[in-house]
Amino acid sequence: MSGDRSGDTNEAVPDGGTVTEEAAGGSGGSALAGLRERDDFVVIATAAALVVFPFLLIDVLGVVGEVIGISIGGYTGLPSLVLIYGIIVIGFNLLLGYTGLLSFGHAAFFGSAAYSAALFSQVVPSPILMVIAGTIVATLLAWPIGFVSIRRSGVYFAVLTLTFGQALYFWALGPGAWLTGGDNGFSGIEAHGLFVGVIPLDAQLIPVFDSYTVMYAFTSVVMLAALWVGNRIINSPYGLIFEALGENEERVEFVGLNVFRYKLMAFIISAVFAGVGGAMFVIHEQYIHPTTGLYWIQSGDFVIMTVLGGTGSLIGPVFGALVFEYVANVISGVSLPMIGSIGSLWRFVLGAVFVFIVWVFPRGIYGAFADLAAMVNGRGGGDGDKPAAADGGERE
Amino acid sequence: MARDTTALSRRDVLKASGAAGAAGLTGLAGCAGIGGGGSSEYPALGNYPVEGDEVVFGFNVPQSGSYSQEGADELRGYNLAKEHLNNGGGWVDDWDGLTGDGVLGKTVASVEGDTATDPDTARQSATRMINRDNAIMITGGSSSGVAIAVQELCQEEKVQFQCCITHSNDTTGGSCVRYSFREMFNAYMTGQALAPVLAEEYGEGLNFYQLYADYSWGQTQQASMEQFFTEVGNWSQIESVPTPLGTSDYSSYLSDVPRDETDVLVLNHYGLDAANSLPQAIEAGLDQDMEIVVPLYNRLMAEAASDSIGGIFGTADWNWQLEDDASQSFVEFYREEHNRAPSYGARIAYTQTLQYAAAVERAETFYAPEVIRELEGHEYSGAGLGNETMRGCDHQAQRDVLVMQGADPSEQTEDLLLNIVSQTPRDDLGYACDAGPAAECELGDYGDE
Repeated sequence: MSGDRSGDTNEAVPDGGTVTEEAAGGSGGSALAGLRERDDFVVIATAAALVVFPFLLIDVLGVVGEVIGISIGGYTGLPSLVLIYGIIVIGFNLLLGYTGLLSFGHAAFFGSAAYSAALFSQVVPSPILMVIAGTIVATLLAWPIGFVSIRRSGVYFAVLTLTFGQALYFWALGPGAWLTGGDNGFSGIEAHGLFVGVIPLDAQLIPVFDSYTVMYAFTSVVMLAALWVGNRIINSPYGLIFEALGENEERVEFVGLNVFRYKLMAFIISAVFAGVGGAMFVIHEQYIHPTTGLYWIQSGDFVIMTVLGGTGSLIGPVFGALVFEYVANVISGVSLPMIGSIGSLWRFVLGAVFVFIVWVFPRGIYGAFADLAAMVNGRGGGDGDKPAAADGGERE
Repeated sequence: MARDTTALSRRDVLKASGAAGAAGLTGLAGCAGIGGGGSSEYPALGNYPVEGDEVVFGFNVPQSGSYSQEGADELRGYNLAKEHLNNGGGWVDDWDGLTGDGVLGKTVASVEGDTATDPDTARQSATRMINRDNAIMITGGSSSGVAIAVQELCQEEKVQFQCCITHSNDTTGGSCVRYSFREMFNAYMTGQALAPVLAEEYGEGLNFYQLYADYSWGQTQQASMEQFFTEVGNWSQIESVPTPLGTSDYSSYLSDVPRDETDVLVLNHYGLDAANSLPQAIEAGLDQDMEIVVPLYNRLMAEAASDSIGGIFGTADWNWQLEDDASQSFVEFYREEHNRAPSYGARIAYTQTLQYAAAVERAETFYAPEVIRELEGHEYSGAGLGNETMRGCDHQAQRDVLVMQGADPSEQTEDLLLNIVSQTPRDDLGYACDAGPAAECELGDYGDE
């Protein structure tokens, strides 16, 4: 699963979230300066993308939808939801795409953070503190789970994480129902608004465009922070070791590094991202249920989003989250003239998209963009295809 | 979150700004025209006021997951209701206030969503209907978990929710909300209706053993069974054992049932779970040693377990064999459209939609607090179950409950799987506003206080 990202390293790709690799590969003072520059570039370009994102998703698609007579526009809550999942899969990709560990239990961190934030809100209804509280719980939980699971690799690791996640799920549904609300779900979450409740989360930032809510702005800021942190990690020597672990664990061990420690750290870091996302999710939805928070399918969804978006880059999985949530929340409600309602077929549609993307663009949606950019930049079409073919996600 | 708090939504702006597409400044210019329109006698609330010639209902049913067959039948009921509201026909001709010309002169349009029998998916789907499609009313669900989750969302968003299949006591008990109404009966009423029949049939002073699906519905269901079997029949409970929702193999639970002590085995399972547990209990030969009871029947289960249901007692919301005029006409026009008898899910869906529409007509506005006041304490008949009251204190319909018995496999047909044993009148059922599940109910605000 280790995405070799050398294919897009030499290209200055004019895309918001591109992370180029020169500094990671290079060394010395100039590379460090380059790193700083790229940091800014990544954050600013992403910020620009975040500003237009709800407009494109809701207003532009809404107008297109009215013209063609099929409702394909998003709704006000959707952009925030996409970003929340985006935050999670950025962290998940640090584990899957860089370190090469496939965890099937990340719902445990997502869900535990969500429940912690929800419970915390009963005492202190502050969104920011809820995120912090949720993240701390997820982090503390990740340590023992990681400690046990990391000792095995491959499918055993995946199943161990899955088992821990499911254990939490059944606990939340049954014995823990007094705390979690069990199958009735946990509602009554009090997130009063930012800055001691002065700014309600559902207030609009711009009068006419109701897609730009305070919640969206809040999520965007967290997203930018997550991206910045992720970028710093993968461009640091520490992140290089993660990558090296994904490439070849034995070699890293021969160099004299403590493989276990680095893998555990990668696991915990990705759990932190999942925790932030989980807490944000509960602020956004004002509701959490064991099936959403802790069931193994949620973990599977993280995997699908990540692979769909492309494991080979930092921002890639966010595209996966976008496609996933768009299909799940918008396409599922579409009624086509001849075929009728999509409804439950949305997973089928998603599956078709997934197969198409993984088949044609092994590096995911991001890989497709990168190849396209390479072509536009004057490289021949054949060349553009090459990186995709050369470092497909299936290479192990 | 992400609720539409202003009167002016994106759609309004886009419509106001016309095909120009430059939604920014021109939209602002159109603002005064919409806000000051003569139609708004009440302040904006939820998706009120309704703009344009159409009013949107959101049909949020399970199209995937373990209750998807019921979702499909609910959807058939909803679409029939929509058709009749717009064009007349069916019960629309008989109900007071309904004209067959839409609701308050507006054509009824609908959006559909898939709840996947999952509370959070259902909430997201409902959020889309409320925020993007401006649905004035959401209805659906085929799981109490889903109904409770969505009705809480609707309370926050100040959009009406009409429950479909949900049998847990919590829906109109501890988790009740002002913006939700339930036509279906609940587990408590099942206990009240079923216990006397069983006491008469099987005798007094028996021992019973329960298995229940371990979630909201199953928990309240088994508690109600315990209460009424103990009170009415003077039975005593040996044990009550939870089984995880979605279990397919019940053999280990069934083998734990003490055969020599148990007189009655109660399987508090629904849908696919019941379709698994009941045949397995029969296969294990438990029916030789004891009586088996399935408190809540549904068609999916009856079809899947058709060989096993012969003689087994349970309750149902409604059945196509009822002989009153309303039931017969519903069966007739449903059969015309879909070529088989409707399940009770279709009746609830149809009824709940018409109830809302009729309340809007009586209130003469879509403004939710007024519509809610029209529904609270409303007496009605013509929904197939005689006289009913939509009680104001907990929004639970007080109505008759049917006790059913599985038909013998030899006399079963595609539609006839169950026989009606008795129709327990509503006066023998129910509970006061300060008793039973209603004691825990706090409805919350109307939104116009």
